[in-house]
Amino acid sequence: MTGDQSVMEREAVMNGSAEAPADPEVEQRFVMGNEAIARGAVEAGVRVVAGYPGTPASEILTSHTAYPDIYVEWSTNEIVALELVQGASLCNQRAMAVMKHNGTNIVTDFLMHMNFTGVRGGLVLISADDPGGNSSQNEEDTRILTHTYAHLPVFDPSSAAEAKAMVQAAFKLSESTELCFVLRPVMRVCHSRTLVDFEPVQTTPRPADFINDRSRYVMSAVVEKSAGGQMRPVIRHRWLNEKQRELEALVEASPFNTIEPGAGRIGLVGCGIGYAYCKEAVAITGHNFPILKLCTLPLPREKVLAFAEGVDTLVVFEETEPVVERMLKEILYDSGKQVKVLGRSGFLPAEGELSDRVVLQAIADLDASYQGFVPQPFPLSVSAPMRTRTQCVGCSHRGLLHALKLVARKTKGIVTGDIGCHDAGAFPPMELQSTIYCMGASIPMGSGIAHSGFDKPVFAIIGDSTFFHSGVTGLINAVHNETKLVVIVADNRTTAMTGFQPHPGSAENVRGDQVRQVSIEKIAEALQVPVQTVNPYNIGETVAALNEAVKNPGVSVIVASAPCYLYAKGRGEISFGDRTVSVDPELCNGCRVCIDYFGCPSIQFDGEKASVDPLSCVGCMLCVDVCKRGAFL
Amino acid sequence: MIQNILIAGVGGQGNLFASALLAKSAIRRGYRVLATETIGAAQRGGSVVSHLRVADQTLYSPLIPDGQADYLVGFEPIELLRQVRKLKQDGIYIMNSRPVLTVGCTMGLDRYPTLSEIISALDEMNLKGYMINATEAADEIGDPVLMNMVMIGALCAVSEFYKLDEIKTIVAEGSRKSLIEANLDALETGAQLIYEAAKLEPV
Repeated sequence: MTGDQSVMEREAVMNGSAEAPADPEVEQRFVMGNEAIARGAVEAGVRVVAGYPGTPASEILTSHTAYPDIYVEWSTNEIVALELVQGASLCNQRAMAVMKHNGTNIVTDFLMHMNFTGVRGGLVLISADDPGGNSSQNEEDTRILTHTYAHLPVFDPSSAAEAKAMVQAAFKLSESTELCFVLRPVMRVCHSRTLVDFEPVQTTPRPADFINDRSRYVMSAVVEKSAGGQMRPVIRHRWLNEKQRELEALVEASPFNTIEPGAGRIGLVGCGIGYAYCKEAVAITGHNFPILKLCTLPLPREKVLAFAEGVDTLVVFEETEPVVERMLKEILYDSGKQVKVLGRSGFLPAEGELSDRVVLQAIADLDASYQGFVPQPFPLSVSAPMRTRTQCVGCSHRGLLHALKLVARKTKGIVTGDIGCHDAGAFPPMELQSTIYCMGASIPMGSGIAHSGFDKPVFAIIGDSTFFHSGVTGLINAVHNETKLVVIVADNRTTAMTGFQPHPGSAENVRGDQVRQVSIEKIAEALQVPVQTVNPYNIGETVAALNEAVKNPGVSVIVASAPCYLYAKGRGEISFGDRTVSVDPELCNGCRVCIDYFGCPSIQFDGEKASVDPLSCVGCMLCVDVCKRGAFL
Repeated sequence: MIQNILIAGVGGQGNLFASALLAKSAIRRGYRVLATETIGAAQRGGSVVSHLRVADQTLYSPLIPDGQADYLVGFEPIELLRQVRKLKQDGIYIMNSRPVLTVGCTMGLDRYPTLSEIISALDEMNLKGYMINATEAADEIGDPVLMNMVMIGALCAVSEFYKLDEIKTIVAEGSRKSLIEANLDALETGAQLIYEAAKLEPV
């Protein structure tokens, strides 16, 4: 393809460095926030980095592969990653775990022990949030899990450059306080692109040594003789609580919290990216509102009280829950100060992403003279139809989903879904999966439906990466508990939705080295359940396998195996040939099966006949199989 | 000086590549750049929006505020429509006229507006701009995927800030040899389409 911009070229443009950096030691690069975060870790001397892919955080981990001395891995899931980096930390290495907010939910159990034991080598947990759920199944604020719940210090960056500085500070402070530090960048920071200073990497490797300290690293309900018979968990809990005093002093002096004096009695509090929107909105109004920038948890109490001295009202802009807002109320209440604190607990929208518009609206709500700065609604005489999710043209999942739909409809079965590209089968026109929650939920939820007395077939569909992440435990459970369930693994050999990261079933690791592939089929065989491997581009073969599986009284596994077309094509490993499909209008009777059931975006319908868009068709030929009249040629 | 460009399109159209190209051109001239994108959960077919902000002063928000975009480049008509609130009253839009139908439209659940309905809606809001068939032009050059380059060429013809020659130099430096010619062709074609459109119906 003449115009195909290869990944390398794309990177060449996106990572292109600016000419003539001011300081010969410092190079300015135009990078994503995620690359800035990675560079911060590299400059801080990180030695072990592990994570699980997830938008908006994925690029942080892959950026480390540019440095041969750093051990980098995509772990099977996030808690594995965090446990692994804690192992490295106990050997006095600087280590980092990278995940999106859903992953932070997964690590909670380990986190609630690691906060009590503390760390040795600097340890940073990157927990990237996606306010607005632009690329996520939910929106949540992991400051609550990591700070309110686990009592760990959190940095909330307002920009890519600050995120880099925060990672560097976090490693240093993690070592001095023996606490895991959390960086909570939001999508707008991870996915911002700007010029960031890359400083020289001048770190010297440390020897990896392990010093036994069972009083810390063996968390157990054990009586401590040396502490007068107190329980170890209570002693470690006290240790963590005492650490809070140390942290309070640190954040008071932190450069990430600043007071910007201004005029008037309304003070804006900008937390993380909220600070950026405050600055933007203030510039639009032309009025110099006082701004308190708060980008750490815990909060700097003295700074807060000093800022509150000059205002009557504080408006807190934070992503996404009213965490800082409530903490400010506590600080002000305790100090006896009468300052009104407004934020996301009623005054500002309680859900969704912030923007400069939210700040402008808030200012106008407090002082109507600013109403003119709030962007007015833009009434257009036509509306743009919504774009719901679907699979890419040429995707093997479309063949699998179509086959599954045929069998599920015929048997009146239920399909439970999971996270991954195949989940778009839940939307029109497929409308196949009846449930989608979190990773791994498909198999246990399907098991519950099967054990509830529901007497029709139950199908659980899960992706390959998700199967390793958290599907396998559900499968073992289903097998052991004698469940009648068809488990379908949509195996495209990569973590496609987040950008083609390898997983335990891949032949390569994150660095591209050949590694041992873990076989899904062999896992199923070890569980002594019937397993069939099918080619999802062959609808007939897939339907036959599903019909066979439905007859089985227990668990049966189908692995629908074909490489992700987009990924394999990009690597030059797959091509359907130059041929695209066309429709014979004589044979097409307008039955719409290809539109209302199959739903390939390349197929269009003019009201009477189907046609194929030659510019987007890649020639996968699935539609040829779908059309029973043979109209697709 | 702050200049804001918003590119709206569909996943797979080369939106981020186009934005990065413009960013690089601004960086070469010593400007500060802040950009971001909203990409959705799918690899292909979802709405993709990239915000590019260039300035000679510090920029804070990576998102272009409503009503502040100098140029709105729509790789797809309804994606442009979706972002039109971002355009300044005296800003300029450039629209690729080739629709990428939504699933709902194909199924007949939604109606894709006609191009003339879209243009009249923009006219009613007193917005100025150009519509070109960039996908068709790219296909004639050899590959519809070059549409993004045609649109960037068109932007260069409209904008005083971005220079076609400079963009061509950057593309030539960053492309594989076999692709340089087609990419440069696409950029040039985009600019020509605007010159022609401007002669026909001056804005």
